[in-house]
Amino acid sequence: MATLSQADEAQLKAQLQDAVVSCTERCLYHSAKWAAELLNSLPTSDDDGLDTDVDSPMSDAHPPQTPANHVSKDAAELRLEAREAHKFLLAKTYFDCREYDRCAAVFLPSVLPRGSSHPVTSPAGQPKHSEKGKEKAGTSSNSKIPISSVQGLSQKSLFLALYARYIAGEKRMNEDSEMILGPQDGGVTLNKELPGISAILQEWFNSLPMSGRQPQGWLEYLYGIVLAKGKNEKLAVDYFVRSVHQYSYNWGAWSELSNLLGTIEELNQVIPRLPQNIMTFIFHVSASQDLYQSNDQVHASLAQIMSVFPTSAFLKTQRALLHYHTKDFDEAEQIFSDLLKSDPHRIDSLDNYSNILYVMGMRAKLAFLAQLATTTDKFRPETCCVVGNYYSLKSEHEKAVMYFRRALTLDRNFLSAWTLMGHEFVEMKNTHAAIESYRRAVDVNRKDYRAWYGLGQTYEVLEMHSYALFYHQRAAALRPYDPKLWMAVGQCFGKVGKITNGIRAYKRALVAGSYYDAGIGSSFGSGEVSGLGGGILDPEVLYQIALLYERIHDMPESAAYMELVLAQEEGPEYEEAGEAGGGVGVTPTTSKARLWLARWEYMRGMYQRAMELANELCQDGVEVEDAKALVRDIRARIEREKGEGRT
Amino acid sequence: MASPRYITPQKISLLVLMYLYLVNDDDPSPATIPVLSFILSHSISWVPSNARRRSSNARSRPSNAVSRPSPRHADASFPIETYIDVLHGYDSDMPGLSLLDVYLKHLWGMDSFHALHNLFENIGNVMLTSRASLTGEELTDFGLITETSPLGLFVRRARLEFNRLQLDDTMKIWSAFLAFRAPTAKWSERLAGIASPGVDINTTNMGLKPGDDLYEVVYGHLAQDVEKSAEVSIDDLERLLEFQLEKLQRLGCRVPDDMKNQLGNMLGSSGVVLRQSHLVKFFDAWKAGVFTTAFDQLHRYYDYAMQTREKIHYQYALLHMAILQADFNCFGEAVAAINETIATARENQDMTCLNFSLSWLSHMSKAYPKQMKGVGYMGMLGSERDGLTFLKSKAKETKMYNLLSATLLNEAKFYMSSGESIPRALECLYQASHLNIKEDIKNHGSHMLLVSTLYSRLGIAHLSSVHTDLFLHCFQAECPIDERIRASCRSALSTIPCGRYEEGLRILKTIDVSAHRSLKFHQYLLLCTGLIKLRRAICWTDWEACKHYISSLRPDSSTDPELSFMLSEAHIDYLIAREYYTDAFDAIEALTVSRKEDSSDILQRISMLLAKAELFRKVGKPARGFSIALRAASVSFKARLMPSLWSAVGLLASILNSLGEFEPAMRLLRAIIPQCLENEDHRLLGTLYSHMGDSYMGLAGTTDISTHRRLMSRLAKMKRGVRFIDKTRECHERTESIEGIRDQYVKKIILCKFHRLPEGADIVAQELAVAWEQGMEKFARH
Repeated sequence: MATLSQADEAQLKAQLQDAVVSCTERCLYHSAKWAAELLNSLPTSDDDGLDTDVDSPMSDAHPPQTPANHVSKDAAELRLEAREAHKFLLAKTYFDCREYDRCAAVFLPSVLPRGSSHPVTSPAGQPKHSEKGKEKAGTSSNSKIPISSVQGLSQKSLFLALYARYIAGEKRMNEDSEMILGPQDGGVTLNKELPGISAILQEWFNSLPMSGRQPQGWLEYLYGIVLAKGKNEKLAVDYFVRSVHQYSYNWGAWSELSNLLGTIEELNQVIPRLPQNIMTFIFHVSASQDLYQSNDQVHASLAQIMSVFPTSAFLKTQRALLHYHTKDFDEAEQIFSDLLKSDPHRIDSLDNYSNILYVMGMRAKLAFLAQLATTTDKFRPETCCVVGNYYSLKSEHEKAVMYFRRALTLDRNFLSAWTLMGHEFVEMKNTHAAIESYRRAVDVNRKDYRAWYGLGQTYEVLEMHSYALFYHQRAAALRPYDPKLWMAVGQCFGKVGKITNGIRAYKRALVAGSYYDAGIGSSFGSGEVSGLGGGILDPEVLYQIALLYERIHDMPESAAYMELVLAQEEGPEYEEAGEAGGGVGVTPTTSKARLWLARWEYMRGMYQRAMELANELCQDGVEVEDAKALVRDIRARIEREKGEGRT
Repeated sequence: MASPRYITPQKISLLVLMYLYLVNDDDPSPATIPVLSFILSHSISWVPSNARRRSSNARSRPSNAVSRPSPRHADASFPIETYIDVLHGYDSDMPGLSLLDVYLKHLWGMDSFHALHNLFENIGNVMLTSRASLTGEELTDFGLITETSPLGLFVRRARLEFNRLQLDDTMKIWSAFLAFRAPTAKWSERLAGIASPGVDINTTNMGLKPGDDLYEVVYGHLAQDVEKSAEVSIDDLERLLEFQLEKLQRLGCRVPDDMKNQLGNMLGSSGVVLRQSHLVKFFDAWKAGVFTTAFDQLHRYYDYAMQTREKIHYQYALLHMAILQADFNCFGEAVAAINETIATARENQDMTCLNFSLSWLSHMSKAYPKQMKGVGYMGMLGSERDGLTFLKSKAKETKMYNLLSATLLNEAKFYMSSGESIPRALECLYQASHLNIKEDIKNHGSHMLLVSTLYSRLGIAHLSSVHTDLFLHCFQAECPIDERIRASCRSALSTIPCGRYEEGLRILKTIDVSAHRSLKFHQYLLLCTGLIKLRRAICWTDWEACKHYISSLRPDSSTDPELSFMLSEAHIDYLIAREYYTDAFDAIEALTVSRKEDSSDILQRISMLLAKAELFRKVGKPARGFSIALRAASVSFKARLMPSLWSAVGLLASILNSLGEFEPAMRLLRAIIPQCLENEDHRLLGTLYSHMGDSYMGLAGTTDISTHRRLMSRLAKMKRGVRFIDKTRECHERTESIEGIRDQYVKKIILCKFHRLPEGADIVAQELAVAWEQGMEKFARH
């Protein structure tokens, strides 16, 4: 896999080239762009000779469309396509002029049922797994459709026509939608074309075995989209898998598939069903990235793929995002920065870059990025997100919200804008709007842990802890190795009185924290657990655990954790690995712990130790008043004891 | 590229300088005052007040050596080199660095887009937010400014406008700023502290050079065209147009051509259409006499003004329309419009507009009574006197001193024209003058003109001309061009009775044509010039020229009523001089009737009486004019219209002469001639002298010559008569009245013949021939 033979490489090129042409023919512009980018990121070292020979008769013999590829077109389709060639061109031009309805009308009869009775219109009421019932219902309503008119079409034409209808429906849906977060904006506006498309496709697929036609993968892709829109996700996954089996180089199908996978387990279930080719590898990496899986295995596969496509911006972005997920911001920033240099007009994923810069606090660079993105295209959701992030960093939250809103107006499904807008609303103390924004983000993509976490935080602000707990758990489930999320879970457990659960969650946070801390320097560890002693533990977490133990009156345990907090000040003395240098030093948390310990020792009567601790507190200059009072008390006690001892 | 709304690179650079001033204000340095005045002169919008002008004058003596003559008031788009001039000469706190170096360091210290944001943030932080935080400690720490100080206002406005900007607009300003400071790159390279070669720290950090893709995407346009339009913000343009409007509205002139081009370029390139520009065009077209365009532009302006929901504009739109219509003699429409204006203003309780409309209406009904009556205007405020009282009280109530002053002047005018007591008119004038000075009302023009009229009616020509000159010297700059032209014409016309026609024409010629370029003014000037020439032609008996002038100067309804009366008067004089007595009589009758209808100025009515009496005298029936002359005399005495009184008395004297009552005639004339001498009216004086001579001759004729003594006294009287004849001739020579001169010579010849002195008669006849020839020569030359 690491190195491709020349023949393989030539084949790959031909396939990608074919993918670009096929996608373009079907007006799948983004997939075409993706494929073309990938095609151009192949190393051109020794192939230059070949590439320059484009004019040679050899390459004429291998035009991309010819069935030299492994997806050999069957003769029937070719014949149909040839017959419709002129009409197809007409439809294509209509599509390119954004006259979608007209495009659809070239091939489809204009009177198509709007499918009012079709199940897809009521996705909520539809039980997810009742595919059979659905099919039945579908067939019953389909009986009215003049399916014969569709059967006579080539798959290419049918796809284009149905896709045009789909796009027209999307367009109308956007037009009908209310203002972002307006009073009527519930995000429930539906694409009214879906039932009709679904009906036709279902009929088509039902009659597929009888007609003896060979599926090409495109219609499966479209049907998958329609099913996914109707929340019929399992079937959608099936169709996407079928689609990528029949045509692997349609990146749209892959990314839709990836969107449907909510957990790593689901991904692992799907993987065996996929074809074995390079696209699957890429999909695996990108899906893992989406699911915040950033382990050695993923990095290794990514590295392998990148050896094939060394200059692919897409893959580089994936790598940067992987680094971002593991909080390796410097690395991620560097990659993005290089990407900027190599392709300054590229706006894709710049919103992620801006997040990174935001976290790193690089204001000037973020301003520069905003400038760059705005220069290129100021009406791209990514651009708006970058600008919004910049204003957010400058604490101009109203303006930030304005830009996020603009991003959402441009693309209602733009996930990060929803989440970021939620953050802004939190900053502006508008909790209700924040909750709604986060909720919409989650509705768009259930994998966004930041939105879940934000929801939890907002509910915490509203003092609804048991509610918040649910969201924090969701977030923590998405990112099991993020201590922040576990801390939030623990805190909520503490608030609702489930103290043992809280302690467990905090301990989980400790584990996760040590894993990440260890991960920074090393090559992403073995992934699972390095135990309590892996590095510096978060004193805050330890302190919280101690407090919780105190609440269940397990004082010795509590004291032990308090000691641990103190131990973090120096840190490395009991550290085995010896990689992290130095402790956290004196922080408010450790001081609080010290005060607690001092008081505890004082209560236990260990005055000497209490005195020591109190004096340390005075030295550190934190909580001096309390410490001094304590010292006085201790002195008084000692004096009294001495006096008692004497008498 | 569209202009920025408010922020321009210049303003940013000012803010940098201001910031520098604010944070480095530990000890006063010699640069403080010039720097501050520089900032102020560029940050505060130019207000046309005397105080401002003084301060800008003070600024124009900067102590630095490199000083150019600084512009009179701030130019919105000054280049960065201006800073070099201002700051170069001063040392900063840091040794070896001039203030300019420090400034440039700060300027180039803004090394990224983010730094631009920071500047606005920081400069807000150095401003005191409220009085409460104004503790002594902070004041010593930082050179803070308060929110309400001039600098504070500028900073706040700039911050507000900056915050309102969208990111891409901010970017445009940033690149404009980069272009703006680019010329100083070589200065900044000198400084060790800032060796940053690029424009942006980010590009430097990323190792980008011009030519790299990324660099070209972000800053590529800098190398290409520098967008000049970004240097003038919409705010600046608005101010510019406001200034133009103010000029147009106050002075009633047109936009000069070169300014028009410049404005057109600025507005055209900026890509925005400002509402005010329509108004400017409206005034310009109006003054240029292009009715349709003016009308169109007015509508356009108010259509766009409606867009901003300023309903308040509506009555002003109507008011403008009324004035415009009236200006183009559409009195019916004008009255309709002004009526609606009044109704709307009442509805909206806009007292200013209401009072102004009423005042304008009363002015119109006064100035164009016939036309206004013709369209059915019956007077809204009752009689004129009631109207004035009403307006006066309203103006006092609403503290509209402008209106009050104007009403007082109108009142004075009313007293004068109705022949009521002069002291009251003077009182009104003094009140108005007091108001003008106290409330700083720019109403000096009409005041001065009215005073000058008053004096000329009182027969004190000298004071009258002094006031006109005073106005032209002192208040010309800030008064409407209309008044300026009127004043010049008045001083030109005042030369007619003295016979200094050349001087009058010269005065009219010196009026700068480019200053007005308005059809109305042009016509006015034309009529004045024509009038002077006509008068001269009548004196020269150049009948061909007279005919030509009269036909070309026929007044119509649009001409100034006063001027059209003067023209008619001249016409009558011409008819009398041509001895077309019937025509003259008809013309006089017609004019008298129309004057009576209009209930016009008493002076005009009296002059008609005088003309009639004069006509009777000319046709040899002076006795018929006796009662007329007597009436004229008594009325003009009551109204203190001295020049009219004198001519009336002169007529009376001539009637008495004709009746053989030489003694009383002589006594009458003796009483008035000294006064008349002061008035420099040589024409009148000549007539009076000739009457005097007639009286003496008559006396001599009636003297008994029985005794030698009596003979001697007769001779003495005749001698006096001859002297007066000579004086008369002198007067006529001054006014170049050829007929008058000839008459006197003829009289002398007759006298010589009477005394049987043919030689003397010959001599006189030769003199006459010479004089005639001279006159003809002169007349031929013109």
